[in-house]
Amino acid sequence: MFSRSRWLAVACFLVYGAAPQAWAQDVSGRARDSVAKAQAAYASTRAPQYLPLETVRSGTVRMPEQLARRVSVKLDAVPLQRVLMEIATQAGLGLSYGEDLVRAAPTVSVDIAGRSAADALASAVAGTRWMVLVTATGQVTVNRADVLMVGVINGRVTDRATSQPIEGVQITVDGTRLGAETSSDGRYTIGGVTAGAQHVTVRRLGYDVQTQIVMVSDGATQTLNFALGRAAVALSQVVVTATGEERTREVGNSLTVVDLSNENAPIANTQELLTGRVPGVTVLGNSGQAGSGGTIRLRGVNSISQGNSPIIYVDGVRMSGAHTPTSVGGRQDVSPLNDIDMTDVDHVEVVKGPAATTLYGTEASGGVIQIFTKHGKKGSAQGILDASTGFNNMGHIGVASDTTGMFVNKCSGVLSIGDGTKFQDATCPASGSWLSNGQISRYSLGVRGSNDSDDYYLSGNLNDEHSVLQTGNNRTAGVRGNISVHATPTLTLSLNSTFVKRDVRWYPDGLSSNAFLLNVSRGPGTFFKGSGCSDPTVVCILNDSIFTINNTTNTNHFITGGTATYTPIPKLSVRMSAGYDYDVADITDITPFGHLRVPLGSIAETQWNRTLITLDLAATLRHSLGRAFESTTSFGGQTFDSRLNQTDLSSSNFSAPGVPTLTSGSLRNIVGQNEQRVINAGYFAQEMIGWRDILFVTGGFRVDGNSAFGTGFGLQTYPKVSASYVISDEKFWPSRFIETLKLRAAVGESGKAPGAFDAVRTWDPVAAENGQSAFEPSQVGNPSLGPERTREVEGGFDASMFNGKMSLSYSYYTTRTNGALVPVTLPPSLGFAARQLENVGILRNNGSEIAVNVDVLKRRSAELSAGVQFTMVRSEAGDVGGQTITVDANSLSFVQQGYAAPSYFGDRVTNPTALADPVVEHNAFLGATFPTSIITPRVTLRLLNRVSFDAIGEFQRGGHLLNSIGFANEGLFTWQPCFDTQAKLRLAAAGNTSALADVTALDRARCSIDSKVKSAGFWVERADFFKLRSLSMTYSLPDRVLGSSNGSSVTLSARNLFKNTPYTGTDPESADQLVSSFARRDYYVFPAPRTFLVSIHTGF
Amino acid sequence: MTNSSRTLRTTLVIAIASALLVTACDLKVTNPGPIADEQLSSVTAIPALVNGMSGDLSLALGRYIDRGALGSGELTEAGLFIPEGHYYLGQFVPQDVNADWGNMQTARWTAESGLVRMKAVLGAGFDANVNTPRAYLYGGFANRLLGENVCTSVIDGGPAGSDSVYFTRAESLFTRAFTLATALNNTSIATAALGGRASVRAWLGNWTGAVADALLVPTAYNFNAVFSTNTARENNDLVNQTLTRSETSVFGTVYAANNKEPRATWDTVKTGTAITKGANGTAIFRQTKYKTLAAPVSLTKGTEMLLLRAEAALRAGDVTNAMLLINAERTTFALAPLAATTTAAAWTALQSERGLLLWLEGRRLWDLRRWFAEGTNTFLTGRDKCLPVSADEAASNSNLH
Repeated sequence: MFSRSRWLAVACFLVYGAAPQAWAQDVSGRARDSVAKAQAAYASTRAPQYLPLETVRSGTVRMPEQLARRVSVKLDAVPLQRVLMEIATQAGLGLSYGEDLVRAAPTVSVDIAGRSAADALASAVAGTRWMVLVTATGQVTVNRADVLMVGVINGRVTDRATSQPIEGVQITVDGTRLGAETSSDGRYTIGGVTAGAQHVTVRRLGYDVQTQIVMVSDGATQTLNFALGRAAVALSQVVVTATGEERTREVGNSLTVVDLSNENAPIANTQELLTGRVPGVTVLGNSGQAGSGGTIRLRGVNSISQGNSPIIYVDGVRMSGAHTPTSVGGRQDVSPLNDIDMTDVDHVEVVKGPAATTLYGTEASGGVIQIFTKHGKKGSAQGILDASTGFNNMGHIGVASDTTGMFVNKCSGVLSIGDGTKFQDATCPASGSWLSNGQISRYSLGVRGSNDSDDYYLSGNLNDEHSVLQTGNNRTAGVRGNISVHATPTLTLSLNSTFVKRDVRWYPDGLSSNAFLLNVSRGPGTFFKGSGCSDPTVVCILNDSIFTINNTTNTNHFITGGTATYTPIPKLSVRMSAGYDYDVADITDITPFGHLRVPLGSIAETQWNRTLITLDLAATLRHSLGRAFESTTSFGGQTFDSRLNQTDLSSSNFSAPGVPTLTSGSLRNIVGQNEQRVINAGYFAQEMIGWRDILFVTGGFRVDGNSAFGTGFGLQTYPKVSASYVISDEKFWPSRFIETLKLRAAVGESGKAPGAFDAVRTWDPVAAENGQSAFEPSQVGNPSLGPERTREVEGGFDASMFNGKMSLSYSYYTTRTNGALVPVTLPPSLGFAARQLENVGILRNNGSEIAVNVDVLKRRSAELSAGVQFTMVRSEAGDVGGQTITVDANSLSFVQQGYAAPSYFGDRVTNPTALADPVVEHNAFLGATFPTSIITPRVTLRLLNRVSFDAIGEFQRGGHLLNSIGFANEGLFTWQPCFDTQAKLRLAAAGNTSALADVTALDRARCSIDSKVKSAGFWVERADFFKLRSLSMTYSLPDRVLGSSNGSSVTLSARNLFKNTPYTGTDPESADQLVSSFARRDYYVFPAPRTFLVSIHTGF
Repeated sequence: MTNSSRTLRTTLVIAIASALLVTACDLKVTNPGPIADEQLSSVTAIPALVNGMSGDLSLALGRYIDRGALGSGELTEAGLFIPEGHYYLGQFVPQDVNADWGNMQTARWTAESGLVRMKAVLGAGFDANVNTPRAYLYGGFANRLLGENVCTSVIDGGPAGSDSVYFTRAESLFTRAFTLATALNNTSIATAALGGRASVRAWLGNWTGAVADALLVPTAYNFNAVFSTNTARENNDLVNQTLTRSETSVFGTVYAANNKEPRATWDTVKTGTAITKGANGTAIFRQTKYKTLAAPVSLTKGTEMLLLRAEAALRAGDVTNAMLLINAERTTFALAPLAATTTAAAWTALQSERGLLLWLEGRRLWDLRRWFAEGTNTFLTGRDKCLPVSADEAASNSNLH
C-alpha cells in the first residue's frame, strides 16, 4: 500500500508557476459540468493529490502546463533518478522520490529530443518497476508500480427537487466491480478504488442515470454527492429484452417497468401488482377464494383456442405459465405467477404485443412478463424483514335492497323467500351470519450482501390467509437464493432458485351442488335439508354441512435458473441461461363418509406436474461504424422442453368414517391420464443501427420449430422492425416545455403453437362392454397445421414535460392474427365428433394506451403526485371459418364474425323499458365478454418525508357477465330484486289486469314465473365497475426507533375498500373457472373480500 | 491479428456453434396414450375395435335418453340446463342437438367404417370372424337410433336424405348380422338382429316382414346396450341425471299418475314432509327403472315384439288379436289384461303399452312422431317432431348448403 510517510524528504524541489491549477478533462455530454465540479473540488484540496501519469497522458484530465513542455534528454545507462531530475529541470516540474528508489537505483537509458515532459517521463520509467505520479500543479513523484494505490469514495444521493435523501440508489465505479447502495439517509461509501480518474455512475428506477468523474487519490477519501432529478422518462434506464440489455432510448416499442421500491402498501402477488399499474393490462380476479389465480390479458385476445396468457420470465429464465387444474369443488385454480413472493421482487417489466415479443418466439403473442428478483446489495450484509397482519372482511353481499345479503350476511331466525316459503337454518352460526373476518399473516426475512467477487440474496417467507367463511385458506412457505459469482474478470455466473410450497383449502364454490353460495342463496332450495330447527313448521336446512367437504390444492413449485455472462471484451457480451421449472400439484376433493348429500362419501384426486426445461443463448456485439453510427448485432437460440403429466382418479362409497384415500371406496375409477411433451427450438438475429445516440433502427427475425406443428410446416419465421427517435436530443428541439420526447414505432409478428397432438389422427383407448378394451375416435388430425401468426403495428411516444414534472406516454396498436387456430367442426357424420384445429381464422385488435403522471406539488415538506392510465381495447373476430364457435353454450359464450371474441349471444328483450310484455329477439348479440376500456387513477401524497398516502382506483367498462345466480335464483323465488315483480306477475296470472301496469318488459322477462318465458340471455349484464383497489398510509420510522439505518416503515393498507357497479350479481369480476377460462359466467362464485393490513418493513 | 480480434472470433465461433447445437435439437414428441390410426389395422385390434362400436352405441343412447325423454313427455325438466330446457319445451334447436347428433353419427360411423377396416384386415376370414356379426349388429342399432330420432339422413358428409335411409341401412346391416351369426351358431346375436330388423322393417312399412322376424324372437329374450360403473364413460347417464343429480323428474308426466306401474317405476325423496324440489322448483319424482350407473338399456326384447305384432294386427284391423298380444305382453309383468273392443280403444291401449314398455329407452319420440303423422296421437302438436340436422353438421357439411 502506498504510504506517503515512507517517503524521504524532497531531493529536489523546483517550482515554476506553482499556482494551483484545476484539472480539466475532455468529457462530452451532460457529465461535463459535474466532472468540472469534481475537478475543482479536487484541485482545491490542500494536500497534493497524485494521479498516474498515464491518466494525464490519456487526456482524461487536462495536462498541467509543465508536463506539456518540450524537453530533450540523451542519457545512457544512468540511474533513473538522474533522468527524472533532468526532465524536471527542463520542464520546471517539482520532483520528489523515496529512499526505496535511491536504494534500488535502477539504470535506464533515454534518448528523446523535442518531446513533451510527460512523454519523456513515461519513456524513463518504461520497462522498470516504477511509475510516475503527478499533481494538478505539476509536481511529480515516483512510486513502485506493483504497489496498489487506492482511495475511498463516499457521499450522499439526494432528490434534486426536495433535497431529501434517496435510498436504494446503486452506485458503481465504471469498469470495475466496485459499488454500493445508499442507505435510508442516502449515504454510501466505496472503498478500494484505484487511484486516478474514475467514472462513477448512479442508477435508480424513476430517476435520471447520472455519471460523474472523480479523482481518487491514494489513501484519501473523496466525497462525491449526487442530486438526482426524477426521470419522468428515463431514457438511460436499462431494460432486458430477448437479446440482452438495452437502454430505454434504444427500444422501439412500449415497455412498462413496475418498480416495487415505489410501493408502500404490501402486495400479495403478481396479479395484484399488475392491477392498475400497467396500461394495456387487464386483470380479472375471478373469485374471492384465497389462493386463486386471476385472468391476465395483455392487449386483449389474440387467440381463440390457444390461450391468451403472457409468457413469464424470472431473472431471464422462462417459467411455465400454466395454471394448475381447476379444483372440481373449489372451481378455481392456482397461478404459478403468484408463486413468486412479492417481497423477493425488485421490479417487473411488461412487454405487450407481438411487435415487442417477436424474438421470444412461438407462444409470445400474448405478451411477456419479466420478473426480476432482488440480488446482492453492494456493501456489508443487510437484513430485510417484512411482516403484515390483518384480515379479510366481506361486507354486504348482493344488492343493497336485499337486507339478508343473499342469506349470507343474515342466516338466523325464520326467513322467507318470494313465494312466501319460510325456512330456518339449524346450523347458522351464533353470530347470525355466515361471515367472519379471515386472518391474514405474512412474514418475509431476507439477507443480501456482496463482496468483491460475488453477491447473494437469500430469503424465506410464510403467508397464511383465511377466507371470510368457516373454511378456505391459502398457506405458502417459500425460500429463495440468488447468487452471483464473478468467476473471472470476463465471466459472471449467477444462480437463482426458489421453492414454494402452497396448501390451499377451497370452500365449495361455483357450479357445484355442494357450493356455499349456491346452497345458501337458494334458501329453502338448498341441497342440505334436514331436521333440528326450532320451528317445525318451516323448511329446515343444514347448510353447515357444506363445510365438511374438503377441497384442496397442494403444490410444490421449484424454479431454478443459471446464467453465465461472458464479456471477453467490452463490446461483446455472450449470455447463456439454463432453466428448470418443476411444478407439481395434488388436487383433492373429499366428500366424507356420512355426508348429508353423499352418505357413503367420495374422493377425486388429480395428480399433476409440469416441467419446463429451457436453454437460452444470446450474444451481442456493439461496435462503431464510424462517424456517428454504431452497430449492435445480436443473435442467439432457445429451446424449451415442456412436459405435462396428469392423472385423474376417483373413488366412492367408503366403508367407514375416517380419512379416506383412493383405495377407501368400493368404486374406483381411473378417470384419465395425460402425458404430453412438446419441444420448441428456435434462433434469432437482430441488428440495431444507432445514429448519434438519437435514432435507433432495429431489424430482426426469429425462426422457430415446434413439435406440435404439422409435417408440412417446418420452421416458422417471425420478422420485426422498430425505430426509436429521441427527437428532444436534437439541437433544434425547443426543450423549454418538453425536455424529453422519444418517438417510437414497431411492427412485428409472433405466434402461438397448436396443441401437442393436434396434427395427428388418433384414437383413444377406452373401456366398453363392461370394462373390456376398446377404441373411440379421438382426433381427426391435420398434417398442415401450423402456428397462428399475430402481426402488430405499434406507434407512440414517451415525453417528459415541465422540467420533469409531468410525463406522458401514448401508444396505439393494431394487431391482426392470421391463420388463427380455430376449432373447426368437421361434419359429425364423418365420425370424429371432436373439433379439429385449423388455421382459418382472423382476429383483430386495436387499442390505445395512455399513461400520465404529474408532480402536482414538490416541496421539502410535501409532495403530491397524481397519475392516470387509460387502456382501450377493441377486439373483433374476423372470418372464423364461416361458423359460430361455441366457447360454452351454458355460458352463452360464442365467437362470431364481426363481434368481440368471445361475446355473449342469446335472447334479448328488445323493449326493455316498455311497460308491456317483453318482445324477445333470439340469438342476439348481448355484449362483449372482456372490458373495452380501463382507467386507473392513482394519487400519492408525501408529507414531511415521513408520512405518505397512496390510493389506486380502477374503472372497467365495456365488459359483460352472465349473472347465473340471478337467472337460477329467480326461478326459485330467492332473488330478492324480483320479489316485487313476481308478486305482481302472480296477481296478473290470477286475473288482475292492472297488476303489471308499472312493470317493465325487462323485469317481466327476468323475473318471469313462467318457465316458457325464462331465458339466461336476460341475465347478461354490464360488468362495468369502479373499485378502490388500494388505499394505504405509510409512516417512515426514524432510525432511532428500531436502531436501523436501512429504513423502517409502518403501513396501514386496505384493498377493494369500495365498489360501485350496475352489475346485480355478487361481483363483476367473478367467474367460474372449471368449464372454461375463456368464457365467463358468474355461477354462484363467492366474491372477493376487502382486505385490511398493518405492515412493518425494516432493514437491519 | 490482435488479441481483441482473436477473442472476438473465438467467441463468435463458440456462440454460433452453441446456437446450432440448440436449434438442432430433436423435435420429436412423445405421446403415450392416444393411438395412431394405422395401429388399428391389425387382427389383434379387431376385438377392441368392435367393443368400441358397442361403447359408442351405448354412449350415444345413454346420453340421449334423458333429453329424448324430455322431448317426448317421459320426463319433466327439473334443473337449469339450457339445452334440456329447450327439449322439454319441444324445441329442438340445432345448437342444442350437436352432442346427440354427433354421438349417434359416431356410433354409426365407427361401426360402418370399422367393418370396412375389418374386411381389409381379415380378408377371406372376415365372414367367419366372431366379431363380424357383432359389428353388423351395432351398425344396425346405431342406424335405427338415428332413424327413430332425427329428421334427416346424412351419411359420411353427404347430402341430406330421408330419415328412412337409416332404416334401410339398418335392415341391411341386421340381415348381415343375422346371416353371419347364424352361420357361427351365435343365437343371441342372431336373435338380436331379428328383433332389430323387425322394428326397422315395420318403420319402413314392411309389417309382414316385421311380424315374420318378431315371431322368431322369444318373449323372454332381451338384448341390451351395456353400461357399467367401470368408467364414467360407461355409466348410464340417465341414472346420473336422475338419481345422482336432480335434473329431470317424472312429476308432471303421464307416468306420474301411478308409481305402482312395474314398467315405469319412480319414487320421491322428502325433506321432512315436503318433497324435494329440483333447481327450477319442480318436485323430484325419481325414475327407478334404472337404479345403478351400470343399469343396461334394452335395444330389443321379446315383449317389444309382442307389441310390434299387436300393432301389425291393429293396422290389419284385427283388434282381437292385437289385444291378445298386448295382454300377452302385460302378462309377463303380472299385470291384469286390458279390454278394448274398438280400434280407437285398441290404439290407445297399444300406445300406452308401448310407452310403458319402452319407457326411457330412447324410443318414444319415434312412436309419437309416426302416430302423430298418422293422426292417432296429438302429443307433438305444436312441438318439434324430431331432431334437426345439428348446427355443427349444417355449418360444416358443404353438401347441405
